[in-house]
Amino acid sequence: MSTIVNLTRAELRKLVLARSFLITLAVSVGLAVTVVISSALAAGHNGAPALATIAGADSLLKLGVIACVAMLVLGILAAGGEYRHKTIIPAMLITPRRGALVAAKVIAVAIAGAVLSSVTFGVGLVTAFAELSAHGINHLPADTVSMFAGSVIAGTLFGVIGVALGYITRSTVAAAVGAVAWVLFVEQTILRTVAPHQVKWLISGTASALTTPVTGGSPPLPAATATAVLSGYSLVLLAAAARLVLRRDVA
Amino acid sequence: MINIDHLTKRYGSVTAVDGLSFEVGPGRVTGFLGPNGAGKTTTLRMLLGLAAPDSGTATIYGARYRDLPNPARTVGAALEADTFHPGRSAIGHLKILATAAGIDRRRPAQVLDMVGLAEAAHRRVGGFSLGMRQRLTLATTLLGDPGVMILDEPLNGLDPEGIRWMRDLLRQFAAEGRTVLVSSHLLAEAAQTVDDVVVINHGKLAAQGPVAELAAATSTTRIRTPDTELLTSVLARQGITARLVAPGTVEIRGADLDRVARLAAAAGVIVLELSRHTENLEELFFDLTTDRADDRVLEACSS
Repeated sequence: MSTIVNLTRAELRKLVLARSFLITLAVSVGLAVTVVISSALAAGHNGAPALATIAGADSLLKLGVIACVAMLVLGILAAGGEYRHKTIIPAMLITPRRGALVAAKVIAVAIAGAVLSSVTFGVGLVTAFAELSAHGINHLPADTVSMFAGSVIAGTLFGVIGVALGYITRSTVAAAVGAVAWVLFVEQTILRTVAPHQVKWLISGTASALTTPVTGGSPPLPAATATAVLSGYSLVLLAAAARLVLRRDVA
Repeated sequence: MINIDHLTKRYGSVTAVDGLSFEVGPGRVTGFLGPNGAGKTTTLRMLLGLAAPDSGTATIYGARYRDLPNPARTVGAALEADTFHPGRSAIGHLKILATAAGIDRRRPAQVLDMVGLAEAAHRRVGGFSLGMRQRLTLATTLLGDPGVMILDEPLNGLDPEGIRWMRDLLRQFAAEGRTVLVSSHLLAEAAQTVDDVVVINHGKLAAQGPVAELAAATSTTRIRTPDTELLTSVLARQGITARLVAPGTVEIRGADLDRVARLAAAAGVIVLELSRHTENLEELFFDLTTDRADDRVLEACSS
């Protein structure tokens, strides 16, 4: 147990010292503020719902995707970067128990994911509240809490997926290109055309169910189902990554 | 302390390490020598658990590396001089590894001081010279104050002062009773550093033992005489193989000079010149690793 604790502390120190976490956090927060302000400015124009409506207020809180993308990138950098900089060699010499090494990386990135997603959504929420107050609206959308929770869950799980992709490909570039190609081309282009009703079960579909406000009607997937399915994708990818890390020679 | 037993590793149709066996003991600096592609790094990777052998075992204190209770405190190992995140400082790099291994948080500063990098502790590793990286690599191996040190090409990139510093440090470690195994292709430098050598070629053991003994075993005795046929037959009766290397000159490998002189005198052979040539490490290395190396050299070494 102390091995996992020590390794997790080391992994958290890596995230902070490499500055990638702080830069990613700053970019995420900046994007969240930008999205809220630009959505508020666009509200009521060109067919967009006014802020006074439920749909208009909800539109300010479409922030979950920012945390998901940021954590996917951070997870890829955390795992793939070990191979890029060959720091995997001293890491495995210090700790030849590779399973513990993978577990510590996942725990550290999950913690970072929870923090980044919370801060990103929190700052966006404060900005949204200020915008709504400026327009004389003194309450937040009804599903704010569920969207906050969904964004944190999705951001954290995307971080885990990023770690898995980094370990599988052993390349930050290959992992990033692969992730973008899968979501944009396979899920959003091919599968959306071939089986449009099944898209909600895919990675992007479950993430959308967790992070996108539901304005009237029922959500494409209940939050609990979306969480379970996205967790399943994360675990399958992580299991594949762990199997490869345990079996492959380190060159 | 280090035991390699019939270790084999194949990559497709290429056998990188082929039934390799040797031992490395404490209190001495052992050089692990071989030409490029001989299988040195592959052997070290298997010893350190980074690569899985196809057969055979590689153990330290009788256990595989990954089965050691606390590997960082048992073995200080470094395989490359460029395994750092360029954005981290030297002290940051060491603190991460010390945290992972549960080592005292003051230790990183201590080992940086030991390797002469105290003033560069907070500089980013990306701006380090190769020599500084070698020192930082060595600092990494010292974190756990281990009893076994395994270093791959530690002399690469060091200036003459750095080589001397590294040499003194390695000898100091051995004098403290540690087991020190260093691979190197810099034979002149290695000759002044190591006590013992393990020489491999094409993944197989070519020779192992103290440098002085190997050099003596492969030394040659050259005799200039007008009676080459008589001398050769006299020596052959005593089980000593002599070969004609030039008109009127025969050469014997590894034989006792005094014994040869007495046998020649007893047989009435006229000896015009009797000389001995002892090989240095470089000559020994090429003798053992070039394709013209013959079985007699290996027999001499193994005996």
